[in-house]
Amino acid sequence: MPTALSGAVASEIVKLRSLRSTWLTAAFAMAFGLALSIADVSHIASSWPRMAAADRAQFDPVGDSLSGFSFAVLAFGVLGVLAVSSEYTTGLIRFTLLATPRRGVAYTAKTLVVGSFALLLGQLAAFGSFFIGQAFLAKQHLQVSLTDPGVFRAVFCAGLYLFAVTMVGYGLGAVLRHTAGAIASLFALVYLGYGAAKAVEGWSYLPSKLMLSNAADTLAQIQPHPPRPERVPSLTFALLDLALYLTLAGVLGAWRFTRDA
Amino acid sequence: MGTVIRCEHLTKRFGRTTAVDDLTFDVHPGRVTGFLGPNGAGKSTTIRAVLGLDTPDAGRALVGGVAYRDLQQPLRHIGALLDAGAVHRGHTARAHLSALAAAAHIRRDRIDQVLALVGLTDVATRRTGTLSLGMKQRLGIATALLGDPPLLILDEPVNGLDPEGIRWIRTLMRTLAAEGRTVLVSSHLMSEMALTADHLLVIGRGRLLADVAMADFVPPGTSLEDAYLDLTATAVDYRTQPSQGTRP
Ligand SMILES: Nc1ncnc2c1ncn2[C@@H]1O[C@H](COP(=O)(O)OP(=O)(O)OP(=O)(O)O)[C@@H](O)[C@H]1O
Ligand SMILES: [Mg+2]
Repeated sequence: MPTALSGAVASEIVKLRSLRSTWLTAAFAMAFGLALSIADVSHIASSWPRMAAADRAQFDPVGDSLSGFSFAVLAFGVLGVLAVSSEYTTGLIRFTLLATPRRGVAYTAKTLVVGSFALLLGQLAAFGSFFIGQAFLAKQHLQVSLTDPGVFRAVFCAGLYLFAVTMVGYGLGAVLRHTAGAIASLFALVYLGYGAAKAVEGWSYLPSKLMLSNAADTLAQIQPHPPRPERVPSLTFALLDLALYLTLAGVLGAWRFTRDA
Repeated sequence: MGTVIRCEHLTKRFGRTTAVDDLTFDVHPGRVTGFLGPNGAGKSTTIRAVLGLDTPDAGRALVGGVAYRDLQQPLRHIGALLDAGAVHRGHTARAHLSALAAAAHIRRDRIDQVLALVGLTDVATRRTGTLSLGMKQRLGIATALLGDPPLLILDEPVNGLDPEGIRWIRTLMRTLAAEGRTVLVSSHLMSEMALTADHLLVIGRGRLLADVAMADFVPPGTSLEDAYLDLTATAVDYRTQPSQGTRP
């Protein structure tokens, strides 16, 4: 049935699909994450025979096969930023709102389309990197299987984390309506936030537990070995972290999006 | 579904500037209504308020009796050309139209029709960032016509068009009005307006200065330019200095 929402969703798909920047950013994020992860696991596999016991204890067959995405995640965030900020910087938003004047409908459609794409891309990155990584680790019989305890959860949660950061970028883009500002805020949130939370650990570990990158350590590994275990949230806490960030990004983005462009 | 554009006591402020000040008028079908006023008079702001892009601080704007935001499939009711190119540089001309057609459930063959109508068929697959000013303007006109709407609002449509394009848009607007559609067009080109418009709305500093038939506004033997400059003489905010020459 043709409705305002179905039309708006179709429109958002056309817009996202026809932008070269969408595919370039996505390809860059994937290539960068995969390359670093492969470098990591191939190094582990080749040096395993001479590796010290302490280093071997740090090995995580899942986490290490996804390690590159702890950096590439920022490219995912940039993808989310661009999906909305570029509409404001180019003025296209005015046509979006002419076609779908009810802001709530326009925002819902955009969020659904960008969110689905981000979820798909995040899971593709996580599972792709996992399988490629295991192929490298198999040379030393270090590989694990998706059916081993905790493995599927870790890979799936790694994909969720990439999705969440993409949507945090999206929310920042919607709130700030400015590409450079939103990217800078995203970096600040992910990196400076981590440092700031670390600095106040003398008083409380709560800020650290709320940091996305610390949540990712719990989510995407099967046996986390952080230097400071107090810093890392439990699995449930980490999932709540993602939910919190997703909700904040969605709600703040909606609030700002429904204001005049 | 009526075909009248109506503003009732429309007021819009930006900080301390009152861009549109208690503006009331109707735009009727079957004629081309020229929307005139000095730079900064509030024409584009009024148009954005009619299109639901700017929320008025007071009063309201109605399109066929309904607020724009309450229209079902608005692109089929009213087409708009906004004053600045509002397309994504990274989209092709066709993608830009496709995105809008999808939102309004407009059949895809209509995209080729409007591209052909404005003469852009050959550049349909080029990214809009590579189009010239006049080509972007034509794309904007194609966008306005996409839903074959009974109402049209065009903000400075001749901007950047070549003489062939200017004659074409003039003929187009007259044809659309003759078909019984409502056409509101803003422009600073008085000679062009004199050839195109049947009726005039003149605003200055956000207020209505005239709502008058062209024939009554321009007495025989004078020009639209003279009549317009007389009327707006006291309402110009950004006045240029008389030319001094370059030598003392
Ligand atoms: N987004 C905005 N923020 C702040 N002020 C604005 C904004 N848009 C318009 N204005 C102000 O509102 C007033 C009316 O501007 P508007 O663009 O409507 O004039 P206009 O009649 O279209 O002028 P022009 O002929 O130059 O296009 C101006 O003083 C302008 O500076
Ligand atoms: Mg203007």
